[in-house]
Amino acid sequence: MPTPQDQFWYKDAIIYQVHVRTFFDSNGDGIGDFRGLAQKLDHLQELGVNAVWLMPFFPSPLRDDGYDIADYFSVHSSYGNLDDFKAFLQAAHDRGIRVIVELVLNHTSDQHPWFQESRKSRDNPKRNWYVWSDTDTKYKGVRIIFVDTELSNWAWDPVSKEYYWHRFFSHQPDLNYDNPAVREEMWVVMKFWAEMGVDGFRLDAIPYLVEREGTSCENLPETHAVMRDLRARLDNNYPGKMLLAEANQWPADLRAYFGEGDEFHMAFHFPLMPRMFMGLKLEDRKPITEILKQTPQIPSSCQWCLFLRNHDELTLEMVTDVERDYMYDQYAYDKHMRINVGIRRRLAPLLDNDRRRIELMNGMLMSLPGTPIVYYGDEIGMGDNVYLGDRNGVRTPMQWNGGWNAGFSTADPESLYSPLVLNPVYGYQAVNVESQKRFDHSLLCWMKRILKVRKANPVFGRGSIEFLYPANHRILAYMRQLEKESILVVNNLSSTAQAVELDLSRFKGNIPIEMFGRNIFPRVGDLPYLLTLGPYQFYWFRLRKI
Amino acid sequence: MADESILTDEFLRQLIDVGEADVLVGVPTYNNAATVGQVVQAIRAGLLKYFPRERAVIVNADGGSRDSTSDLVRGASINDLQHSTDLKALRTLHSISAEYAGGPATGTALRTILASAELLRVSACAVVSPESTTIEPEWIERLLRPVYKGNYDFVTPLYRRHKFDGLLMSNLVYPMTRAFYGKRVREPYAAEFSFSGQLASHFLGQEIWTHEVGQTGTEIALTISAITGGFRLAQSFLGDKPRADARSADLVDAMRQTVGAMFWSLESNVSLWSANGQSQPIPTLCEGQEVTLEPLRINRKRLFDMFRSGVAELKPVLESILSPVTLSELQGIAALDEDNFAYGDELWARTVYEFAASYHKAVISRDHVVQALAPLYRGRAFTFLVQNREASAEQVEQNIEKFCLTCERLKPSLLEMWNGRK
Repeated sequence: MPTPQDQFWYKDAIIYQVHVRTFFDSNGDGIGDFRGLAQKLDHLQELGVNAVWLMPFFPSPLRDDGYDIADYFSVHSSYGNLDDFKAFLQAAHDRGIRVIVELVLNHTSDQHPWFQESRKSRDNPKRNWYVWSDTDTKYKGVRIIFVDTELSNWAWDPVSKEYYWHRFFSHQPDLNYDNPAVREEMWVVMKFWAEMGVDGFRLDAIPYLVEREGTSCENLPETHAVMRDLRARLDNNYPGKMLLAEANQWPADLRAYFGEGDEFHMAFHFPLMPRMFMGLKLEDRKPITEILKQTPQIPSSCQWCLFLRNHDELTLEMVTDVERDYMYDQYAYDKHMRINVGIRRRLAPLLDNDRRRIELMNGMLMSLPGTPIVYYGDEIGMGDNVYLGDRNGVRTPMQWNGGWNAGFSTADPESLYSPLVLNPVYGYQAVNVESQKRFDHSLLCWMKRILKVRKANPVFGRGSIEFLYPANHRILAYMRQLEKESILVVNNLSSTAQAVELDLSRFKGNIPIEMFGRNIFPRVGDLPYLLTLGPYQFYWFRLRKI
Repeated sequence: MADESILTDEFLRQLIDVGEADVLVGVPTYNNAATVGQVVQAIRAGLLKYFPRERAVIVNADGGSRDSTSDLVRGASINDLQHSTDLKALRTLHSISAEYAGGPATGTALRTILASAELLRVSACAVVSPESTTIEPEWIERLLRPVYKGNYDFVTPLYRRHKFDGLLMSNLVYPMTRAFYGKRVREPYAAEFSFSGQLASHFLGQEIWTHEVGQTGTEIALTISAITGGFRLAQSFLGDKPRADARSADLVDAMRQTVGAMFWSLESNVSLWSANGQSQPIPTLCEGQEVTLEPLRINRKRLFDMFRSGVAELKPVLESILSPVTLSELQGIAALDEDNFAYGDELWARTVYEFAASYHKAVISRDHVVQALAPLYRGRAFTFLVQNREASAEQVEQNIEKFCLTCERLKPSLLEMWNGRK
């Protein structure tokens, strides 16, 4: 059982993101479920993660993969029931794995009873739970997020003959957070799950809670006030529970979501992720160091969440036009790979299945300041299927073995919630957990090793970072420090071998110890420290003064 | 500095930091602080605008400036140490500077740039003069693009010049290069040009670096090397060429760098130039208005006087270089007054060929041969100025073309002299 006393547990966490539907089907209906997920917890434990983030598993018409919630207090019948969830939660805790659930506060499904009530008539008691208007000209100029499918943030309701506000799909009406009853009810939702024992909440689409005329309707002070209120209630009633913000914003705008340590504990660092891919392709550290230099300091109790890939597209909203064009050309040359303002591909295909690049990117993920998230399947280098529509191509069944349905389900293949990845390179017969467990040099085994090193060194989760700026721009080097612990990280972003001279004069006399093989390197002396790195190679050195 | 290397260890370290690059712009300098800042800023703007995705580097080969030239060049770097976010650059841009040994020499500077291009394995390299204050970012595109994307190996510029600007080029260097090597390269000796990595390696391997041509006149040697090596040539219109400060004292140096190098090249390329027939045009990219007619002050009287005094003073030298017929005709026109004087196309072409043959046979010191041509060129320039005083831009070009054809027609006479039959 994770120790509840450690209120900063999220700083040391390595989070595994998974949708229950995708992981393991215990009852043979073609859809993953909580019983199946519980059965596969050993895999997560062996991998070395210590937290699981579950994507929405609530009753839903599933028109947006569960982000259209129709009931916040239950489990979608395809995935089991509340008892199944509780059993899974207990099993996870028994293995020292914390559980983070996802709540969508901004909107519900249009099938949610609240909305069904609200649309019945203009004087319905639930009318004011959503944002209604007799005109679609309010909040003009507010950007449309799903530009591929939505023409307006307003949708006409033929039942009550008014427009309702939606920042995402039109079947996802926005809740009205100016209504105290809505705020109260969402606290009840949070309380329900916290009481059950979940360890944290990933709150979706946070910047959009409140609307005001003449603004972008994003990141408004009123939205922050809602969050501060929820956080205070959570801290008072359930200390140690964590809030993680999903706010796809620039770092300066994101900073506000930490407040003075009184809003979110963690927030995703969205702009960093595309720049890691950009830096790798450009073979130039500049995009990475620049965005991290622009990243503001956050309260000491807070933490960034880092990720390489997730269930959504590789978002390119937080890059310049020139950078976006470059990213599209380099990573999404086929139009099918693009969706909205981003790229719908998994990690391995994005990196041309190049093991060295996959390792380097994971190495940076694990060593840059923040809490890393591993997207399910990326630990074995799963592929995608960009022809499946929406972002379903990166949400295919987990590939456990080379047998029937990749070991995911005993159902007829035709009845699976999604086709398996079948192609000869990424298909389940080539890429699966069972085969990778058999060989020490597999990606899975390598991931286990790096997670083990990361977990054993709190400096990665809690330490400071200081960039070194060697003249060779292909080398991204930084010091991570926590109290007396100093770790030097050197990454070669280039496809060719590189030499680099590092100014380690402050560490003169220290002996660098390579952290994976534990080999000793020459002592740091008066001269710049010379290192040579092979293509996409990286080093983690512990500096010891002995 | 390592033995037998033109690259200092410090410069090599900078090149290691740059790593493999796609495009390189070289800037040879010597005390150019007054203008080089403006030039490298334009280069940087051009690289950012037209080559935002390419790995680019600016390489300054400096002859030992004692002003702030190197600092100004280095200041054009874009890296993550800069705190300015005004520049929306996709990637790092290195702007590095190296002082080469031996003092200022255009050849060593170019060799340093060529060596950098080879070591960095660039696909395309441009050289830009630090004094080209009329440079626009588009120059970088017009120089590099044809090489980087167009599969050309060598691109020379076309400038918008006054009709009387670049007289040495239009009356000697261009027509003769064209006649010798059969390619119509309008600016064979240019301050701006570009070349492929392949040509850089080829040229670096030539046996010129221990010769004087390797110190001065390297630019025209590169042009000739590109032609004789069968590389793909093109010329690209850039824009206004800043007018050179044409002091007479510079003429002999200019003659050494151009005519000297050209004559020298004939030695090792006999089989090529002797076999060439009619010249062929090369592709012209990004065409533009090439001639302007704004007034330009040239002291014609001084040219004429220097010609006459040169013919008189150099009589013994000219007797050893020129055939009796040519010398006699030359002395004949030297006796004419300014109004009746004309150094015609045929006589001028013959003069140059006889100088070339004498250079080959080394009848006197080869450097003296080249120097002796200077006063005669002044007479030719005087004639050109007078004859084209009222000419339109088109007429000037026609006259240059006519002279070029004369040179081509008379080229067999050079071969006869070369082989000793005349």
